[in-house]
Amino acid sequence: MIARAFRQLAILLGLALLPAIVSAALQLQWNREEPLAAGEVRIAMAREWGDKAIWVDARSRAKFEKRHIPGAVLLNEDEWDKLVGPFLDAWDPDKEIVVYCDGGGCEASTAVANRMRDELRIGNVHVLKGGWNAWLGK
Amino acid sequence: MAGKVILLALRAALAWIFLKAGMLKIWDFAHWRSATPDFTLAIQHYQIVPWPDLTMLLAVYLPWLEVITALALFTRRLRLGAITLFSGLTIVFLGALGSAWHRGLDISCGCFGKDEVSTDFPAMLTRDLCILASLTVLLAVEWRRLRRASASSQGVTQ
Repeated sequence: MIARAFRQLAILLGLALLPAIVSAALQLQWNREEPLAAGEVRIAMAREWGDKAIWVDARSRAKFEKRHIPGAVLLNEDEWDKLVGPFLDAWDPDKEIVVYCDGGGCEASTAVANRMRDELRIGNVHVLKGGWNAWLGK
Repeated sequence: MAGKVILLALRAALAWIFLKAGMLKIWDFAHWRSATPDFTLAIQHYQIVPWPDLTMLLAVYLPWLEVITALALFTRRLRLGAITLFSGLTIVFLGALGSAWHRGLDISCGCFGKDEVSTDFPAMLTRDLCILASLTVLLAVEWRRLRRASASSQGVTQ
């Protein structure tokens, strides 16, 4: 009976492999070919800016304090009123602003970037394509 | 008869839970895009898997395993394996949740895609213990069914 269970288990593990392999191949293709939306920047370009970029973390304070891009400034929607002052102190109009959040389907960075453009009238704001995942190299 | 209906309902409920969990980790239907990056992130947040490549492999493979195994719950030939596999996965996941809770991690479960943001560990652990209890019942029933089938087939051959 135990042998039967393990045999069936092995069959299931094998059956799941095929769609997983196809999924992985598609995932790799999408990661390579996904075009940039307006206002987005890829990690390679953002890294090239070096000191000419100011990184803005749009995630929660807990995530920011756990780990963030070195030198990044926290500015999220939840604490916008409290954090916008320190951000403006760090802001330099000659530098590019790169806003990031978790990556994948996260929309916090887009929301913060839009508020910067609309409320703070900052034009050179970019959203990091892939967010924190992209920084980690995923 | 009532017992059979209850068991069928239990299997259907568990299959639905795992099928939904798997599908939501494969595809983000709200934004119509792959959910693999979000699930990769959810696994990373547990800080258990040390290798990034393995995290990504798990993020691709586990959801499909959930979907295929959920469907297998309705087949006689693979039902025992499906229940065994889900029991093992649930135990592993309970361990991961318990570990995250013990370490004070503020994470989302990642069980049902990126929109599940709860970090209510007691609730999540209770939910998964109920799932494990249901799987244990199904395992016991399936075991008994197969033993009877095996005994009766031996009786026929004798």
